Amino acid sequence: MKFYKDHYDVVIIGGALSGLSAALQLQQKGINDILILEKHNLPGGLATSYVRNGIEIEATLHEMMSIGSKEDRLKVGVFFDECGVDIDWLKVPEAYRFVEPSKGIDITLHAGFERMANEIDAQYPGWGPKVLELMNLCNTVYDSMNTLSVTPMSKPAMLMKHPDFVKTAGYTATEVIDTFGFPQDIVDILSPYWIYVGNPLSTLPFTIYAFLMADYFRGGSYVARKYSHEMSMKLQAKAEENGAQIEFCQEVEKILVKDGKVTGVRTKRGDTINCDYVISRAYPNKVYTQMIEPLSEVPVGAIKMVNGRRLSVTTVSAMMVLDDTPENLGIKDYNIFSAGETMDTDKIWEQGKTAGPYKYLTSICLDLANPDATPDGMCQFSITFLPLVQGFLDLKEEDYYDFKRKLANDMIDEYEKVSGVNLRDHIVEIEVSTPVTIAHYVGAWKGSIYGYSHSIDDHAVARLQMKEADHFIDGLEFAGAHAISGNGMGPAVTNGRAAAKAVIDAVNSKKA
Amino acid sequence: MKVKGFLKDVGGASRVTKMRQELIANGSPIPDPKDPIRELADLLHPGKQQFTITEIREASPTSTTFRFSPVNGHVPIFQSGQYVNFYLNVGDSVLTRAYSISSAPYEARLDDPYFEVTIRHNTHYLVPDWFLENAKVGTEITAALPFGQFHYEPLRDSDHIVGLAGGSGITPFVSMAKEIAHGSLDIDLTIIYGSVKHTDIVLYDVLEEARKAAPEKIHVVHVMSDDEEWDGEKGFVTEEIIKKYSPEGASYFFCGPPVMFFLIDKVMKEMGVPLKRFRHDASAQPAVKLIPGFPMDQVGKSYKLTVVRGIHEDVIDAAADEPVAVALERAAIPIDTHCRGGECGYCRTQLLEGNIFVSPLNDGRRAMDKELGWFHACSAYPTSDLKIKIPII
Repeated sequence: MKFYKDHYDVVIIGGALSGLSAALQLQQKGINDILILEKHNLPGGLATSYVRNGIEIEATLHEMMSIGSKEDRLKVGVFFDECGVDIDWLKVPEAYRFVEPSKGIDITLHAGFERMANEIDAQYPGWGPKVLELMNLCNTVYDSMNTLSVTPMSKPAMLMKHPDFVKTAGYTATEVIDTFGFPQDIVDILSPYWIYVGNPLSTLPFTIYAFLMADYFRGGSYVARKYSHEMSMKLQAKAEENGAQIEFCQEVEKILVKDGKVTGVRTKRGDTINCDYVISRAYPNKVYTQMIEPLSEVPVGAIKMVNGRRLSVTTVSAMMVLDDTPENLGIKDYNIFSAGETMDTDKIWEQGKTAGPYKYLTSICLDLANPDATPDGMCQFSITFLPLVQGFLDLKEEDYYDFKRKLANDMIDEYEKVSGVNLRDHIVEIEVSTPVTIAHYVGAWKGSIYGYSHSIDDHAVARLQMKEADHFIDGLEFAGAHAISGNGMGPAVTNGRAAAKAVIDAVNSKKA
Repeated sequence: MKVKGFLKDVGGASRVTKMRQELIANGSPIPDPKDPIRELADLLHPGKQQFTITEIREASPTSTTFRFSPVNGHVPIFQSGQYVNFYLNVGDSVLTRAYSISSAPYEARLDDPYFEVTIRHNTHYLVPDWFLENAKVGTEITAALPFGQFHYEPLRDSDHIVGLAGGSGITPFVSMAKEIAHGSLDIDLTIIYGSVKHTDIVLYDVLEEARKAAPEKIHVVHVMSDDEEWDGEKGFVTEEIIKKYSPEGASYFFCGPPVMFFLIDKVMKEMGVPLKRFRHDASAQPAVKLIPGFPMDQVGKSYKLTVVRGIHEDVIDAAADEPVAVALERAAIPIDTHCRGGECGYCRTQLLEGNIFVSPLNDGRRAMDKELGWFHACSAYPTSDLKIKIPII
């Protein structure tokens, strides 16, 4: 029986957001001979949902960035519109509530630069204009990044047209924020999103901080009405409608390379599939140390690259269905960031190298953005921290279930302490995910969800400059959190498109 | 905008690029293929494994216990109440069938580890007969474990579980009882177990042995629905009986045939047991006459089923009163079912053309799957000719 064609132009390893976006981008440019191979039995990777006892539960904890309103679409929103992918987006009510009990900080910020600046001004009179100044700088850098990522230009031209971007590119978030002279409370209030890029502010490039702040506070964020699975399914449906072949339950084990050039892939099932290009969501660490066949085709530079770069964070999350409404339970906010001990992101980062307990938590009640998310009289609620994988490397099989229960128990304790909300007596369903869960379902290297550290010495600007130097095998591109734009669902789409663009450029240069 | 001075500011991009070049230049040239997290994930969820049947015992006059020892020496950790999925070569087909594990988790951690299932005779299509006729000591079988959420969860459940069981639905509670008796599960367990006659009681001795080992923690109440000789509780497992033996605030766990589930579900509602205190195991779809809303005028009809796998297509026959998964099994087209009740989603299938009836019992489809026509083959029935796409196995 023959399940595959003899040859495909492009094989995409992984049917998650990056892989599906890569397919759509290729199709936009007339490359239609595409095979997508996905390990799991559904698309989306982490952007998915699951059902327990008839109740659908969101598996991805964070809202989608870079969508924007219908009137002011941002990058990813524009791309989806162009592709004809119509997702029923619901706007998240607030950016976040930030609580730091030791300093008595409790503030809720909403999207809109002026609005959030006013909200800070209301508690710290006189500081609003300075906050607005920072946000405007973030927005300028954000616009520059979006322009420069599609329109390369010379350094002098860049300095002329994008001076703020150029002048802040070499600094950390802390270095730039310090020039504003904010009191520490305001710095803390402007810091919570650091966890969405998984790098402490002292080593996070300001560029990345600016991107995050501008994107979230300009356009707000969105969730799909039928969970992240809606987004994944609609991307898949469109890619299939455009002619891509998608096969589930197919883990790719080998990428076949001859004379420095990709020739195909082999699946765990044993199918060998010929192709000219491979776009891989498998991490470079895995590709260069396990998957390339023969391994002698892997240049030492590729090994030095994956060994030199540091993996970013992974996730620990307790996802619950509760047996009452948010209102009755006293849950008022879609998203709370709580700093139970400290908001010093270096200290929180150190805590993230351990196996807990964790004190910097992100809690989300999806029903407050999507009232239909859970059946009437119930709601769904998650508590998350993003630790490094270090604390999990020595974990033993026999201790695993107790260990993850302890992590969840500690997070529930901490949330209840900070919020005064009783979760424990209302849990109908609970699932706890760890790096091991991630490794099991999506196969990501060491259970990572955020690719490589967004640190100043692995700056996205430098990644872009070194694109050629980081390219080791002809016909092999990478898409996923480990690619240039880094982690998050919005950047996943951008990474997929960038990989597709590299393939399109290569195809065109061959034709020429 | 000025951060630290014009020259330093404009040199930023070059500076960070040098930093990154150094970072990579300092990387070790030795490949490091080790991923301990994936290794642990693979230990916990190894997927298909080979097991040898090492013991076969009678569990009652109408049921048999089979012991499975791993060929590679490793049984993944499971929790009492979880199930194993077998992949059985029956004729040209590979049939997938799930059974609750009746042995205790500690037995999978012994030096000579194993797990056991206890199978009631003649209850489902093909498989029990196949086991009884073909499975011998020494037979090698493919299986995967563990699966399912029907287990004690301290973050959610009361530490006193009332197990409500019918027929072979006793097996998850036997696993729990053995684990409690062994001292490795610290909960109280009251089992209320309905059988027709005392000779039908599955694993009576095993349960009795566990109870004697921990009489203060394990209580067993047998209820006979049709047994003149029985001098204990008689009739069905009713509200009265459940109340009589239940402590305040217990978590109720149900495992048994669908007909009994309908009764127990009603009793739980009447007793006002909160949602978080009642759990039931995924059970296979019952005969269509027991499925609410099933279009009975379809019974006896047959449809053409076009099955797409990759670029390959087969056309097979599908009976209207059998799930799509059974049609595939009959035609020897592999499909990876697990729970067979509609809940778990392993047999998630794409509907390309045609109409189906989906059983409302344990409908585990995602909202967007429903909208775009994806369904679970174990619990969907054709009501017209169909074209479907399934994974290549």
